[in-house]
Amino acid sequence: MGAYVLRRLAYGVGVVLGVLFLLFVLFFAVTEPEDIARKALGDKVPPEAIAVWLENHGYDRPLWPWQDFEENLLFDHYRRMLTFDFGLSDADDSPIVDRIRAGAGPSLTLTVPLLVLGLLTAIPLSLLVAFFRETYIDRMGVFLCVLAMSVSTLLYIIGGQYVVGKLLRWYPISGFDADPMMLPRFLALPILVGILSGVGGDVRFYRTVFLEESSRDFVRTARSKGASEPRIMTRHVLRNALIPILTRVVTAIPFLFMGSLLLEAFFGIPGLGSMTFDAIQANDFATLRTMVYVGALLFIFGQVATDISYGFVDPRVRVE
Amino acid sequence: MSGGHRVIEQRRGRCVLVGLGLALTLVLTACSNDPYPPEPPGQKILYSSFTEAPRTLDPATAYTTVAHSVTGAVYETLLKYHFLKRPLELMPGLAAALPTVEDLGEGRSRYRFVLRKGLLFADDACFELGAPGARTREIVMGDVAFQLMRLADPKVGSPVIEPFANIDGFQEFGSALAERREADEAFAARPVHEQYAELGGIRGIATPTPWTLEITLHRPYPQIRYWFAMEFSTPVPWEAVAYYDGQGGRPRFDDHPVGAGPFYLAEYDKHARYVLEKNPNWYGVRNPEWRAPAAVFPEPAEESDVDSGRAEYAGRSLPLIDRVIVVREKENIPRFNKFIQGYYDASGIIKESFDSVVVEGGLSEEMKERGMRLGKSVSPDVFYIGFNFDDEVIGRAGGERSRKLRQAMSLSLDVGEFLRIFNNGRGVVAQSPLPPGIYGFDSDYQNPNRRLDLERARELMVEAGYPGGIDPATNEALKLGFDTANTTTAGLNQVRFFTNAWREIGIDVAIRPTNYNQFQDKIRRGDYQVFQFGWVADYPDPENFFFLLWSKMARSVAGGPNAANFMDDRFDELFVSMKARENGPERIAEIREMRSILERERPWIELFHREDYSLYQGWVKNVKPMGLSIPTYQYRDIDPEARRALREEWNEPVLWPAWTLLFLAFLVIVPGVRTYLEERQ
Repeated sequence: MGAYVLRRLAYGVGVVLGVLFLLFVLFFAVTEPEDIARKALGDKVPPEAIAVWLENHGYDRPLWPWQDFEENLLFDHYRRMLTFDFGLSDADDSPIVDRIRAGAGPSLTLTVPLLVLGLLTAIPLSLLVAFFRETYIDRMGVFLCVLAMSVSTLLYIIGGQYVVGKLLRWYPISGFDADPMMLPRFLALPILVGILSGVGGDVRFYRTVFLEESSRDFVRTARSKGASEPRIMTRHVLRNALIPILTRVVTAIPFLFMGSLLLEAFFGIPGLGSMTFDAIQANDFATLRTMVYVGALLFIFGQVATDISYGFVDPRVRVE
Repeated sequence: MSGGHRVIEQRRGRCVLVGLGLALTLVLTACSNDPYPPEPPGQKILYSSFTEAPRTLDPATAYTTVAHSVTGAVYETLLKYHFLKRPLELMPGLAAALPTVEDLGEGRSRYRFVLRKGLLFADDACFELGAPGARTREIVMGDVAFQLMRLADPKVGSPVIEPFANIDGFQEFGSALAERREADEAFAARPVHEQYAELGGIRGIATPTPWTLEITLHRPYPQIRYWFAMEFSTPVPWEAVAYYDGQGGRPRFDDHPVGAGPFYLAEYDKHARYVLEKNPNWYGVRNPEWRAPAAVFPEPAEESDVDSGRAEYAGRSLPLIDRVIVVREKENIPRFNKFIQGYYDASGIIKESFDSVVVEGGLSEEMKERGMRLGKSVSPDVFYIGFNFDDEVIGRAGGERSRKLRQAMSLSLDVGEFLRIFNNGRGVVAQSPLPPGIYGFDSDYQNPNRRLDLERARELMVEAGYPGGIDPATNEALKLGFDTANTTTAGLNQVRFFTNAWREIGIDVAIRPTNYNQFQDKIRRGDYQVFQFGWVADYPDPENFFFLLWSKMARSVAGGPNAANFMDDRFDELFVSMKARENGPERIAEIREMRSILERERPWIELFHREDYSLYQGWVKNVKPMGLSIPTYQYRDIDPEARRALREEWNEPVLWPAWTLLFLAFLVIVPGVRTYLEERQ
């Protein structure tokens, strides 16, 4: 087990180093530090102010080690990432670590309930359509799922803001307030939209899993012993379908910290998703590389955690 | 089922019921679209929004509208603009009077400012550095001098070094500072106010008394006064710069302004929201008996001030509101919808809703019924198409031929149509570089080469030697290139509008999209012919527009903003004279002659001056945009009772769809379950 985890982590290190290199190359291929400086400082500033900004942010150095082995951007990029010295945002000079600390809370307040409520919606619904398999409820359910999957998340957001926020006036169209009395009204609409945009795919996936489990021998045995259908679905099918459910959930858990890019950006939630969205718009390389790096680390962590968790839910699985 | 099982099932059922009850309670308590907590009674709060986080609030470097919306409220300047007079007019702010000017000969002059006594900075912990236990201290001219030294400091990276370089010894101070830091690490490690003091300050800045500031200019630059109405020259306490260094949990000075304005920054999360509170130390609040011009609502200056009820406020002490809450709203549509719901007090008009809000230049009936008001103001800016005078075909080398070609191209553009297509008709068609509200602007002036006249344009093409647009050298249509850094679909469509218009007179102008850096590189190399730029004024003086065509600012020679590389001896002569002259008939005559040179030479095709349309709720009083990015929160007034009543009326939740949905779900599921159970039995 320990060796397996170490091996997986070693693979992960390779992946992260590769991701960092690709990120560096791609970013500097499409933009130049002067562009970032112009975006941050505005068009009116004189060349001297641009030069000061480049120097303050370390972009006045050559890109590659063969240009200057000691003072080059590539080595500095790796050094910073690997020592978690993320530095300052290129867009507004704020310390990136502080922003991550400040943004993780709002992100989690959105993504954790979204994950839990999403599961609580998708699993019963998929159990329901699987329970009524090959009836009009099943067929209508599958049709609605495909329909829900075909609509862009952006449309859910704009539609949700228009219908629920503007026409029905149930919840604020956008915004955020961490005050516990105010928080639920700001989270209600993004969570509703998040569930709606994800439920189609989830129900389709879980329904397939449940149908596959419900055709197995132990289910037939349980049925022949006179167990009721609801009992079979919840006790036998659901329990044995935990591995694929777990794969999906445990892989998603680390990414809860990263927030939701679109939901946060459009609903004005000051989380890490919103921060990444801003960084993309502002050519904020320092923030972007940090978020991509953190994302890669979380991905690898999620993969390893998923493998390990199999052993807990299914004693037959052994990680070696 | 055994008794034990039954008990467990019952408990489980109860848990589900409790869970559902809790969830329902949560949903019901959350059911309100009001994004704000209840307001404290008796407070007047203004609600506003911002789109992009300000990069910095350091008054030496802040140069964006969003940053100025904070720094302009938190920092106070020696001079201010009169709130109601148009064109904008300077008046004393922290200074007791406008500065006196002494001519020292040989183009040198000295400006003398006198500060009011007994002024205080807003309370802040940083003042402990100067005196233990202190929360504030008196403002002295040394604080202005300190800030001017910060502008010269190369490490600060201020974008406004160039205008302040007219001060004697300004640039030398910056160079000496850089050299000393390079040579002496111990010096570089000391707090900046000690470094500045050791170097002896800037030669042309003196403070003979704590309340007197003398600025010596080594060349004529009367526009320097305007820079003393901007936060760049605000008094900054050295304690704030030394204390807010980002160490030990303290924020950086960039994010923690300490000023002497009518408001102080009570809360600041630059990515989410900020709150401005009335500053009890502001002289308008502490000493209302002074009746200082910038601390009292002014007398009406125009008829519109009387009509709009602003006259009733004349003489009242400022600020009229207690607090400003500004929330980040990245997307236009949610922001506008929240304004319609009454949760913002003012808003711009989004393109998608323009036709439903504005009808024939006025408010739609629906908006009028809601009590809203429309504010229009022309921005002090100019957008133009420029020609590179270093180019052989389009520039000065072609002499009369090129001049006629430029005139023909100028006569081919219908800017009114351009504004209708791309900007909902918003904008004033430009006749010269000067926008309305700037001294020298003449609303009756019609530039003979700045209108749509295709017939005359075709004649000019013939006179230029390009009959029908055919270049005799190639026997094909004359080919030119239009460089643009705006490569978005909308941006390219706008350029296409111009190139299509020039096709009407036979010229084939190819669009050359490039990114900003490539574009800058091309401009450095002189490898461009036609381009489009815009300029927003820093201060309301014609010099701030005409300098864009001064030969000393030519991009190819001096790296300045004259990207057309226009060089005309007579224009230069007039510019230098006009720049140094006070407003009056002689200045107007010079402006007219400069205008006529541009009319003939056509280094630019002036396109438009932007026109801002803003919507205001009926409960907001005293809105009069100043054009420049100057916040006027202290003049605004609010009727909180009217706002509360209308918000309630406009935001009654509509609940019937929820009940309908539940009923429909019931209708679908129950028969299905019943059928299934019957089939299984």
